Parts: sequence; C-alpha cells; structure tokens
Amino acid sequence: MMTRKLFALTILTFKEGVRDRALFGIGLFSLLLMAGSIVVVSMFMRELHKVTVDINLSAITFAGLLLSFFVSINLMSKDIDRYTIYSVLSKPFSRSQYIWGKYLGIMLLIVTAMGILTFCSSLAIWFTKSQYSLYFQGFSWMEFYKAVYAELLMFFLLNALIVFFSTITTSSFITLLFSISTYIAGQTIEEVVLFLKTKHAAEIFMSEGINTIIGIVQYILPNLSVFDLKLQSAHAITISWDYLAAVTGYSIVYSIVLLIMASLIFNKRELR
Amino acid sequence: MQKILIKNVSKEYISDFKRKRKTAVDNVSLSIEKAEIFGIIGVNGAGKSTIIKMIMGFIKPHSGQIFVSGKTPLDPDSRRNLGYLPENPYFYDNLTARELLMFSCQASGLDKKTSIRRIEILLKKVGLFAEQNQKLRTFSKGMTQRAGICFALVHDPDIIILDEPMSGLDPLGRKIVIDLICDLKQRGKTVLFCSHILNDVERICDRVGIMDGGSLKRVYTKEEIFKSVDAENNLEEIFLKIIGRNQ
Repeated sequence: MMTRKLFALTILTFKEGVRDRALFGIGLFSLLLMAGSIVVVSMFMRELHKVTVDINLSAITFAGLLLSFFVSINLMSKDIDRYTIYSVLSKPFSRSQYIWGKYLGIMLLIVTAMGILTFCSSLAIWFTKSQYSLYFQGFSWMEFYKAVYAELLMFFLLNALIVFFSTITTSSFITLLFSISTYIAGQTIEEVVLFLKTKHAAEIFMSEGINTIIGIVQYILPNLSVFDLKLQSAHAITISWDYLAAVTGYSIVYSIVLLIMASLIFNKRELR
Repeated sequence: MQKILIKNVSKEYISDFKRKRKTAVDNVSLSIEKAEIFGIIGVNGAGKSTIIKMIMGFIKPHSGQIFVSGKTPLDPDSRRNLGYLPENPYFYDNLTARELLMFSCQASGLDKKTSIRRIEILLKKVGLFAEQNQKLRTFSKGMTQRAGICFALVHDPDIIILDEPMSGLDPLGRKIVIDLICDLKQRGKTVLFCSHILNDVERICDRVGIMDGGSLKRVYTKEEIFKSVDAENNLEEIFLKIIGRNQ
C-alpha cells in the first residue's frame, strides 16, 4: 500500500514536471548545442574527439542544471508556495513520504531527460566520429558513458539539496539562491582548499578563524567537483570502477542524509 | 460515534520577526458525530480555517487534542477515510482533471476499476465530464472548485471537510454542491464545512457552530435555529447578535 501511494506521488510529480513548458525550452537548447557541436568541430584542425565530447557533456550538464534549478524547484517549492501541497497531504501521506515521493518524481524526470539527451548526444558523437574517424582513435564510448553516469550522480545529490532547501525556506526564490550558491561552492571548494595548501597561499595573511571556517565548510558542503569527469572522458583517460563506486556511495549517502534531515525538518513545519 | 473530536484546542501564531503572539483559536471543544453535517460560520479571521488545518494535520495545536476517527492528525491513517477541499483550491496546472482524480484514488488505495467508475460518476455529477482531459490550468475558478470537490469525494470517504465549498461557484454549481452534501448525509457520511453563505448553512446543517475571535461562541442545533428563526429574526440576525456586531 505504501509503495503504491509513493508510486502515485512519484508519477504525479513526474507528469507535472514533464509537461512544464520550461522543459521543452531546455531540451531544445541542449539539442541545438549538440547539433551545433557537429558544425563547430569541423572548424578545428585536431583533437576533434575532445571538442566533441566536451561540448556534448557540457550540454548534458547544462540541461541538467537548468532542469534542477528551474523545473525541480518549481515542483518542490511552488508546491508549498501555492498550497498545492494541501491536496497531496490531505491524502494518507506522512510528511516523510511526501518528501521521498517528490524526490523520486524529480529524479525520474532527471533520469528520463538525461537518458534522452545522452541518446541524442551519442548520435551527434557517432555522426562526427563517422565523418572524422581518423581523429577519434583515442575516443572511448565507455569513458563517455561513465562521465554521463557521474553527472547523473551529481544531479541526485543536487536535487536532494534542492528538496532540503525547500523544506527550510519559505519561498522558491530563496531555495533557488541557496541551491545555486551551494552548487558553485560545491564545485569550487576543493580548488580553494588545494590552493590554500600551496606555498603561494602561505604568503597571504589569513586569520585562524577563516582557516577554521573553510576547514568546517569543506566537510559540510558536498564536493561536487568529484562528479565532473569531462576532462578524463575527453582525453579517454580510464576512470576506474573503484572511483565510480566511491562517488556512487558518496552521492547516495549524502542524498539520503539530506532527505532524512529534510523529512525531520518538514515534519515540524507548519503549513499555514 | 464521534468522527471528529476537538478537546480544548488552542492555537497561537507567532510572527517571524517581532515574535508577537496572536491567538487564532482559543480553547475550542467540539465533537462531530457520524452522519452529521456540521457547519462553522464566522467572520474572516474567526479561526474557522485554522481549526480545519489542525484537523488535517497541516498545523499543530499549542494545547488540546484532536482526534479524527480516533486517531490524531499526525497519524496519516487519520486521513485514509477523509476527503478535504481547501479554501481556494490550487491544483497542479499541467495535470488533467482525470489524472488528478486518479491520483486521489491511488493515494487512497482504490483499485483501478473502482477508480475509473467513481471518477466517471463524479465528473458527470459536477458537470466536468466533457472537460476531463483538459489541463487544470485552463479551468475557470468555478471549474477548479468543482474539480476540488471531486478530488475530496472520489474515494468515497466517510468524513468530508469542506472549507468554503461554494466559493467561486455559480448558482447551478452551488445547487450541485448542496445536492452532493445532502446525498452524503443520506449515505451516512460526516461532513464538516465552513461557509460565509448563511442560507446554505441553515439549509443543510444539522448543527451550526458560530466562531468569533478564535472562540466557539455557540453551537445551534437545527431545531434551535428553527425555533429562533422567524420573520424578524433570521440566522444572520442570530449570528450578528452572537458576535455582538449588529449595530
């Protein structure tokens, strides 16, 4: 019974999201970017596979980000903003089931969108490869798909963050601000920490307090840069299965912790 | 048998920044029996919707207890046999009326065959059958209200809570809703509803509670209303007298 209820909410969220007009714009833009990669590549003299893979992976990431920041936030925060949540919670759903059902619906939407984009992207790469096969000697489909998979894991985590922020804020705009800020910080925190360990950084005066804060933030914020495997994929550098397993675990554990926290906070929230 | 029991419930709202307290509901006690239609009337801000939101579990009382079919509103099972229409209902724009009702059925545990049958009957009853595959964003306020009524009733619940069910409805829509409520009563369902339209309340309720300033000032039975009501003294007069604003 519980699974059936959760499934109903997941499908409801998916249907509402898949018909969002913004989705068509995002999809069209990404497809144009992928088709454009075929044209752009012809202007390069060498390393065509790197350019092709880079553009296509970037298009998938960009589409996923737009989808998360606009469609997912719409699906989550607007539910509370516009009181559509009343109709869902008037059914025998607990608050935790609501959080999980919405999250699964959003992830179904992201997986479907990424599946379609990966298919189109593969077609674009295949076409370019057939045109310039000599330049694609170092290309590996496996590494390309591994990079796509890592991006998907990043979206699992990013959307869990969005769900979490939706439960602690009272407006979709604040959720958007928090999510974008966390995404940027999550992508750069590793670089900041690495920079602070260099000898150049030692010359910059920084108080103990700031160092401590950066140290704490480093452990609280998700390190999203670990999911960015575009460079490895473009250079056909083998990504180990161990690494993939580790980032899978990281994404799943982090997302589950966020969703549990979101459920606990949402349980206490007054929906007036 | 009590279907809804409210025992000494109070609710205060605290403003976010100034931490100012405002009493929305003040020590309200009430019990609604099986197969009873109970109406709550009161001016805006009297606490009607707050009581309903506490029954639904959207907000929690500061003190007192609420039971729905013997369960607290924090238990999702308390809503298994309950239908709810919020004030000014908002639904998912991109869904069709049929999809929305199918969700209501699935979430309430109805099988597909029964769901299809119930959806068809209700959509025909409220006059939305022809628009069942139309997206909800194209619906007028009255049509959304009708879809909301279907959403609340489609799984055939035993307890129905309607917050301003006549809001945005044309005379025909109002007639349909009144007929639906009367039909629910005949079938032994329990209905709690808030309304500003005193005529409707007078017509269909077994008991009427008058709220003001968060307190339940008085509860009238149908007989008591009939006794009090004469040519010069209608429910509106009684209501104004109770809340002390008939000057």
